[in-house]
Amino acid sequence: MSRILLPFITYIAFLAESTVMQVLAPEHYGWDFLMIPHFAMVLIILMSCYLKPSFGIVYGLIFGLFADLIYTDLIGVYMFSTALVAYFIAVLSRYLFSNFFVTILLSVLGVAGLEFLVYGLNSLIGIADVKMADFFYDRLLPTLILNAVFTIIVFYPFAKLLRKIEG
Amino acid sequence: MPQFFSNKRLIILLASIIVLVAMIGFSMKDRKELSWPEQFLKDTVGISQSLFYKPANSIAGFFENLSEMKNMYSENKKLKSKLDEYAELSVSVQDLKQKNRSLKGQLEKEADLTEYQVKEATVIGRSPDRWNKFIFVNQGYKDGVKTDMAVVSPQGFIGKVTRVAAFHSTVQLISDNDQNNQISAIVEGNKRIFGTIEGYDSKKQSLLFKEIPINAAIKKGQKVISSGLGEAFPRGLLIGTVTDIKADETDHTKIAYVKPAADLYDLSHVTILERSMQQLDKNEFKAKEEE
Repeated sequence: MSRILLPFITYIAFLAESTVMQVLAPEHYGWDFLMIPHFAMVLIILMSCYLKPSFGIVYGLIFGLFADLIYTDLIGVYMFSTALVAYFIAVLSRYLFSNFFVTILLSVLGVAGLEFLVYGLNSLIGIADVKMADFFYDRLLPTLILNAVFTIIVFYPFAKLLRKIEG
Repeated sequence: MPQFFSNKRLIILLASIIVLVAMIGFSMKDRKELSWPEQFLKDTVGISQSLFYKPANSIAGFFENLSEMKNMYSENKKLKSKLDEYAELSVSVQDLKQKNRSLKGQLEKEADLTEYQVKEATVIGRSPDRWNKFIFVNQGYKDGVKTDMAVVSPQGFIGKVTRVAAFHSTVQLISDNDQNNQISAIVEGNKRIFGTIEGYDSKKQSLLFKEIPINAAIKKGQKVISSGLGEAFPRGLLIGTVTDIKADETDHTKIAYVKPAADLYDLSHVTILERSMQQLDKNEFKAKEEE
């Protein structure tokens, strides 16, 4: 049961990025910073921390591909970045204690890694034309705060589910 | 220092970077149609997106209405005074329309660049990362939507259809920074000033209106509309107003900053336009040339 639940919950988080969070986006209220939801990525990071590394990588590849096909015009950018971040988090979490604070830290680190990878790849192609300082203050910091809050909210219920799957 | 990559993994990483470059290269080609797995995925996700977006939007709309109620009284007053003007205006519009029709009849011209048919569509989602500026709507090729159709909101032009699945399609907003995202535009009231809208300045929140001739008499506050030439868009869709002008250093032209007329963030219902005047088919075009 909980094995079916896992892809379903990740899919819901993936959908929430483009629907619910877009209704609540800060641009609606005239603020000029960007809060980018990476909810599916956060859940994949939590999977990498608690399950086998292959879980995080496979989910990263699948949901990265979804994001590429549906939310962007280029295939490969999110697929590569999400899987790579999932792998690094899986390796890092083997060397750290798995408690609440370390997991939040890893989640922030992972989302920052994803943002930097995507920013780098998009700058290379020419889609992103934002200066580094603007990227950092207007985009990265608010994004990290939003996703850290999301991690704190889902941490306990989701970690419980993951422990059940691990058996 | 933990060992991140064994030799085998390093090879996998290098191979996946090669695959990444190949996939980006493949998708950067100018593809007109989606393959069937992409269409299937788009429709499946589209259905679940509309399940989420509509309730979320209506709840947000409810709270917005609550806060708007405060200044309803003064707004109402303003609107009432506008209403009188409106009656006057609508009479003159009817008059002009009739005149236009009769003049066209005299010219024996069936369709021109300004005419179009409309399709209503509801927005069901938006790209979450702001590098790509796409919105998703619930109309696909089964409803007659094709690529490169113009999309407008009640305030003005917002973008064009780029990807079409059976029941859903993707709209690229004018603010998207893609190199292929160009719209030929003119300054209203002065047919001589041609240019293309390409690119977006996110700091100024303005579109860049490029390739204007250096001696063109473009002024702040002028309205920019679509020219209807070259693309499948009708003529005369309001894009925005000129806010600033500067010279382009690289070539001998001017750049104008254009503030978009439509609010590109607050979109819930949009209209897809199909130009009545058909573009010439390529075969047809050749046949005509041979004649």
